[in-house]
Amino acid sequence: MQKEFKIKHLLYSKLNRKLTLLFLIVGFIAPTLAIFYFYTVAVTSIPEYIFAEQISLLGVIALITIILISINAGIIGFFVSRSISKPIKKLYNATLELEKGNYETKVDIKTNDEIEELGHAFNLTTATLANMEQERKEIDNAKTEFLSITSHELRSPMTPMKAQLQMLKEGYFGKLSKKQKESLSVIIRNADRLDNIIADFLEISRIEAARLKFDFRETDIKHLIKDTTAFMRGFANEKNITLAEDIKELPIIQADPDRISQVLRNLINNAIKFSEENNKIEVSAELKNGYIQFSVKDHGCGLSSENQIRIFEPFYQVENSTRRKHGGTGLGLTICRGIVESQKGKIWVESQLGKGCKFYFTVPLKPVIDIEPIKILFSQKDVMERKIHEEFKTVLGPLGEVEFYELKNKNAFSKDDLIKYIDSLTNLYILYPEKSNDFKNKIREIFGEEKKPLVKKKNEILNYDNLKEVIKRN
Amino acid sequence: MQKTILVVDDEPDIRDSVQVILETNGYKVQTAVDGDDCLKKIIEFKPDLILLDIMMPGTPVAEVINKIKDIKIAFMSVVRISEARKKGLCKQENIVDFLQKPFNVSDLIDRVRLILEK
Repeated sequence: MQKEFKIKHLLYSKLNRKLTLLFLIVGFIAPTLAIFYFYTVAVTSIPEYIFAEQISLLGVIALITIILISINAGIIGFFVSRSISKPIKKLYNATLELEKGNYETKVDIKTNDEIEELGHAFNLTTATLANMEQERKEIDNAKTEFLSITSHELRSPMTPMKAQLQMLKEGYFGKLSKKQKESLSVIIRNADRLDNIIADFLEISRIEAARLKFDFRETDIKHLIKDTTAFMRGFANEKNITLAEDIKELPIIQADPDRISQVLRNLINNAIKFSEENNKIEVSAELKNGYIQFSVKDHGCGLSSENQIRIFEPFYQVENSTRRKHGGTGLGLTICRGIVESQKGKIWVESQLGKGCKFYFTVPLKPVIDIEPIKILFSQKDVMERKIHEEFKTVLGPLGEVEFYELKNKNAFSKDDLIKYIDSLTNLYILYPEKSNDFKNKIREIFGEEKKPLVKKKNEILNYDNLKEVIKRN
Repeated sequence: MQKTILVVDDEPDIRDSVQVILETNGYKVQTAVDGDDCLKKIIEFKPDLILLDIMMPGTPVAEVINKIKDIKIAFMSVVRISEARKKGLCKQENIVDFLQKPFNVSDLIDRVRLILEK
């Protein structure tokens, strides 16, 4: 990628400026010394009367010579250093391209020296990286393909198996004793469970391969939520749980109502599972930043910060979980994430241990027709931790490193914990409000949330002025 | 009068299971192993309903159904089919239902009964 020529670019190369300056100084000092030496020789060897006549002329000539030589040296220096700085700039730009994931980047340097060799080595490295990336993609596709095929193959025997089991139970082949019936019930229950897991696997393989099917049509979200909660009320009533709705004015949008309902049912189902009896679950929806934001709030046991990040991973088990008691395939939230993210929406949870959970997800006002593959099988937590680590290092420097591990040990990595931590830094005058707001926005982004603009409260401005005062006084 | 049902599926276990279920519930059942076999058996048995697996080796199902105009067809599918695709397939009037595999035995009977009573 060749940028257009600009004088600004020429002067912006630090290397170029340094070397040019060096040549200028050398071009100035060398003739000055030579002329000074010549002058002392002349003073001692030439008779004084001749010297006095010529002194002014000689002085002017000397000065012009010095200036000409140093300008010449400067110009030569500029071009010599440019021949070094230009290929380095090329390499730098190519490295930036590589960082963006453009493995096709090549540099073309013909300087016939070590820099050309470096460029060559760079090209070889890029080629190796490109190969590795290609291999990674192939392995990834093979994994998705394998998952898809195995799930299909696993599912076909389920049909005759389940049919025959039900026929047995319903007495197609004669009456059964009580014990036989009980045994059959166990087999059927587990066959159903296995079938559910296989069905969920298939769904995941579809999400990963961007083969998830959406059927977009005009959808009245208010209607959709009412229908879904009415359906789920049957399950909620078993635990005497109230299902409340809070739906704001919403436009009618193009969306797949079945998929939205699937996500909602899943979240409500979880909320019911983890709520005590006689509790309340609130479902809400509102228009926010060009998305419809849904939420499902329960007053159950809540989630620790660790679990808040990992809850969307497949088969993730909350410690001391009562999941076994509750059943389920352990893939429900992973599939929810896949469905929501396939539509470029976001799904996240806010929670405090012992105070219940609030799950959010967003659906765009315009449907995403071209669905991209989404990787939902690998751990989200590591990726997030790495991003948080990066942010800490860039914002806080070496201090960030220490603080990061301290927070990690305290397991205070939920969004709220981090925001609180940043606020505490701001109050201690370690961070400016603007910078801390940027930091918070980055953290929110990592947790998949929208940015919030800096709202200057009165006392915040005061704090900032105080801070300036403090700096001035010191 | 006893109604005849043709069960078309490439998997023998599914054919046999469905056959037993339907026979126990008072229907006459014939089976076919794929699309071509299905077309042959139609002429022979003149069924009232065909239960047709949507994915089979041999002649594609889409071609097979083009040749059947006057017999009711219910699809059986192990793959979940989106509403949009169902609509696309239902352009033919004689396609009356979709059965998701693995099916519930009682659900299968209910649906078959409903279709044949119409």
